[in-house]
Parts: sequence; structure tokens; C-alpha cells
Amino acid sequence: MISIKNLHASIEDKEILKGINLEVKAGEVHAIMGPNGSGKSTLASVLAGREEYEVSAGSVDYLGEDLLDLDPEERAQKGIFLAFQYPIEIPGVSTTNFLKTALNQVREARGEKALDAVNFLKLMKEKMKLVDIDQSLLSRSLNEGFSGGEKKRNEIFQMAMLEPKLSILDETDSGLDIDALKIVADGVNKLKSENTATIVVTHYQRLLDYIVPDYVHVLYNGQIVKSGDKHLALELEEKGYDWIKEELAVV
Amino acid sequence: MISVDNTMLDSLKQYVGTTENQLKAWDNLSDIGLPGAKSESYKFSAVQNILNKNIDWAQEGKDTFDKSLLYEEKGSHLVFINGSFDKNYSQIEEDLSLKVGDVTEGKHDPFSLLNASLATNEVRIESGSQSPVYIYHFNSAGISNPRIRVKVKSGHSFKVFEKVVPSEEGKSFTNSYTEFEVEPNAFGYHTKVQNYHHQAFTHETVFARVSRDSHFYNNTFSFEGALVRNNLTINLEDENCEGHMYGLFLLDKKSHIDNNTSVDHMKPNCYSNELYKGILDENSTGVFNGKIYVRQDAQKTNAFQSNNNILLSDNATIHTKPQLEIWADDVKCSHGCTSGQLDEDAIFYLRARGIKERNAKAMILNAFATETMDHIHSDAVKEEVRQLIDLKLS
Repeated sequence: MISIKNLHASIEDKEILKGINLEVKAGEVHAIMGPNGSGKSTLASVLAGREEYEVSAGSVDYLGEDLLDLDPEERAQKGIFLAFQYPIEIPGVSTTNFLKTALNQVREARGEKALDAVNFLKLMKEKMKLVDIDQSLLSRSLNEGFSGGEKKRNEIFQMAMLEPKLSILDETDSGLDIDALKIVADGVNKLKSENTATIVVTHYQRLLDYIVPDYVHVLYNGQIVKSGDKHLALELEEKGYDWIKEELAVV
Repeated sequence: MISVDNTMLDSLKQYVGTTENQLKAWDNLSDIGLPGAKSESYKFSAVQNILNKNIDWAQEGKDTFDKSLLYEEKGSHLVFINGSFDKNYSQIEEDLSLKVGDVTEGKHDPFSLLNASLATNEVRIESGSQSPVYIYHFNSAGISNPRIRVKVKSGHSFKVFEKVVPSEEGKSFTNSYTEFEVEPNAFGYHTKVQNYHHQAFTHETVFARVSRDSHFYNNTFSFEGALVRNNLTINLEDENCEGHMYGLFLLDKKSHIDNNTSVDHMKPNCYSNELYKGILDENSTGVFNGKIYVRQDAQKTNAFQSNNNILLSDNATIHTKPQLEIWADDVKCSHGCTSGQLDEDAIFYLRARGIKERNAKAMILNAFATETMDHIHSDAVKEEVRQLIDLKLS
């Protein structure tokens, strides 16, 4: 689905990603772990098309297209979804209104007909159940005054509405208590299929108890330095990241 | 000795009215002069200079009435042509008391005095029933001085919507004066939509005096104009009053809008709230000056003010100045002002959900502007403002 080759990216002349190689196929769940400042969120942002980051080398092929050539909205329309680590509060824009605009622009780009109000609300009701989100929250301004848990739930709700092919969850577990974490993970699991893929960016193994990865990669200093299966996450949880740093120093 | 620049006054001298009040106003004005280059309250709008350069004082206005521009709403519709009330074009509800008379004394600042000196007459209206009043000024060429005094009687709720329609065929200057006297236990309300063009120059004074247990609201929506100066003054003259001021200026091209607002808390237990928002694009200039005056007597005052601006272009300018003068010691006053650019994070968030950049920006600006629309008590006017916002943001 997505093939990242030797990806270098920098912000304000500081290189953050120093040659990332990653291949994700449909039906797979990849976890990207790593210590603070290793470049995890940068990778997520670059894939979503954040313009502050400058890609200096490398390529990203997404479903046969050069992803780096596309605007953020085009990427979203073609099925990429970034669940933000810090969802933005937008006063005055209701979640419902925002999602209706987003969904219909995505549908338009996919050559589908726009949903009318009735069908949109029907779809919304259906997807609300997935993440146990309250109607009253959705008529409020987008994320404004939402608790940390509500914001994250709203992200997964949006994901459910937009039905992406590749979902990138950027530290979706941060700021969540265990109950909220379960609800969010549950939502993600229900949305998974053999035609979709998920990249889970996280600090902790905790989330991976609920969203079980097929592969775990360790990002350190802008590169993927170690890959393995779900057991690698457990090992990291137990030993921390230092042993990887030491291993690298030896090499 | 302060030298007073009287070029503009010299040109206008021959048009001064003949009644005692008008001559008195003119004498007063001649003493203080019009605000010049060094005037603090006109610091960012060199009105006299600009007007002298642009307006042909001798030119007489034509009748540019256009019936299609009247709102299709129930109520009285009062039409002024070049500053004079025109009964034939107007539709007056039976219960509205309307008198056309000589100029009486009003506010004593330069442009109000100028209006008093030059006005052809003074229109006095008194609240009758609940039905609102729509006032239209069709002005062309030279100077127009519409003068209106509104009385909101005790126990009444009275809404006035006012609109200047400057002719597009030449440069015109409208120097309007609208005064509200809100009697005890009454509700006074005034909304203006200012969508002019690059040949329109206006100085619009709104002066409200609010009595015990009464409220006064003003909404001002500005979209375009060569020079628009709004002087809004609310005096809360007795206890338990409220003064509300809401404004939006959404500017592009070379528009210049100067909002000078002031609320005077004279007595205890009053409340005032002010919210002005600006969106400035291209080479436009916006000015916001918000004065809150709390007199020594005015204990337990609650006064709030906020001005937020978004600049969309490197060539747009905003001058904003909150001005609080507080002499009482038991008051709650707050003011805040922000000026910045569009929030890139917010735009990215919307784009990352598939919304086109253009739509994302419009969505955020629309939401920003909409907050100022909460108090438009007329469907037709609300629709007009909404359309103008959409038009400007698309």
C-alpha cells in the first residue's frame, strides 16, 4: 500500500528523518515506537502532508502514486488519515458541519455523490456507536473545550466517517485513561479490514495490547534501527530504549 | 496658541443653516475646529485632509433612490435623499410618531456640530409599537448631513436599522448623526450595514443616552469604503443599564474603516459588553479604539471589551487601542485584543480531512466572523450580512 524509501525530512534546516525505509501492505498493522525526539511524529506529519517539513531526499509511493506530490487534502481524499496527537480546537465550526463538508469533498473527489442531510445523519448515528461518542459533543465547536479523551475519540470517529485506506495514529494513546484507551482501540479494530492498513505511532506498549501489531519498528535518531514482531514491543516495555542505543553504539 | 486648520470649514461656511441653534453650533465648531493631523482620536484617519482632497463641496447631489434596495420587511421604511427626509419614498407605519423640525442641540464634538450646522432639518421619531424602523440614506456627490433623533419610550422595545447607500457615480461624503434617547425600562437597538465602495466617504455618529433599567445595543458591520469613521458613544446615565457594542469589519482593496467607540459608566450597577472583530485583506486598514470610562460614582460596574483581528495580507494594517479609564474602586473590567494571521495548524487540520485549502480558510474565517452576528434581530438584515461575509470570503 505504501512504500517509503530513504526518506529524509527537515524542519528549519534541522534534519529529523534521516533515511526511513518502510513497507506497509494492505491488511497489516505496523507500530512505530521510539524515544522522545526520535522523529515519530515527524514521520506521521510528513505522510499527512504538513508543509513545514521539507523532504530533501527519498520517495513515498502510495498505491502507485508519488505521495509527496499531493496536497494534504488530496492525500485525505485518496484515503490517508492522520489521527492527530493534539487535535486542533476550532471555535465556531461545529463538528457536524465540518465533517459533512469533509466527507462530501472526499466523496466528490472519489466520484461519489454528496450525501444529503438525512443520509449524512444516518451515517453519523451509525459511526457514533463505534466510539461511543455523544451527540451533544458533535454539535459543539470542533474540539473546543473537549477533554483529552473526547478529542481522541473524536479523531477515531472522524476516521470511521471518512473510511480511510491507510490510517496513521499519532500517539493516540497519550492522555487517555484505560477505559478511553479501550474504546478508542476497539473502534480502530472494528475499522480494520484486509483492504486497509494502520500505522500506530506510540511511546508505550500499552496501546499495542489492544491494537495488536503485525510488525514493530523502533525509530531512533531519524532512522528505523530495529524491526520485529509484537514481542519487540514487550521487550522494549521491559528494558526501555537504552539497550537499543547501546546495541547501536557497539555497531 | 494652537493653530486651527479651517480650510474645510471655509469651504462649507456658505452652506450653514440659518436657525439660532445652527449658527450656535457653527460658532462652537469654528472655535474648536475640525480634527487636524495631530488629533489623538483621529490619529489613524486624517479625515480633514482626505475629505479636502476628494470631495467637491460645491457639488449638489442628485436623487439616486432605488426602491429595490429597501428591505422587504414589515415596519416603517424611512428614506433620506442627500440628507433630507423624503416623505414620498417613505412608508410610515401608523403608530410611529415622526416629526420633521429644526435642528436642536446635540453632541458637542466637531463632526456632530458640523452636522448640526449643515443639516437641512432634524427628523425626530418616537417608538410606537414593536414594529422596527429601517432608515436608508441615498447620497450622491458633495456632503450630506442626515440628522435623526430617536426616542425609545418607557416600556418599549424599539429597533432601528440604518444603511447608507452612496452613489457610485462620484465621490460623496456622508456626515450622519443619529441619537438615541432610551427612557427608563426600555430597549433601544440599532444595527448598521456598511457596504460602500472606493468613492464613499462617511463619518457616522451614533450617540445613545440610556436611562435607568434600560438596554441599548449597537451592531456595526463594515465591508468596504474609501474612508468610514464610526463614532459610537453610549452613556449609561443611571443605575442598572446595559450597553452592548458589536462590530465586524471585513475589508479588502484599499478600504479604511475606523471604529471609535466609547461607553461611559456614570452610575452604579451597570453592564457593558463590546466585541469587535476584524478581517483585513489586500491593502486595507482597520482602526479600533474602545474606550471604557467608569466614573467614581459607578461602583459595581461590569465592563468587558474584546477586539480580535486577522490579517490576511502583508499590506493590510490594523491599529487597535483599548482605553480604560476607571475612577471607581469596586468594578470588574476586562479587555483583550489579539491581532494575528490565520492559524496554520487549524487550516492543516481541516485539509488533512480532505477539505480544500480555499474552503478550509473560508470555514475558519466564517466561524470567526459569525460570533459578531448573534444580535441581528431581522431576518433580512441577517441574510444580507451573511451573504456579504460569504461573498468577501469566497
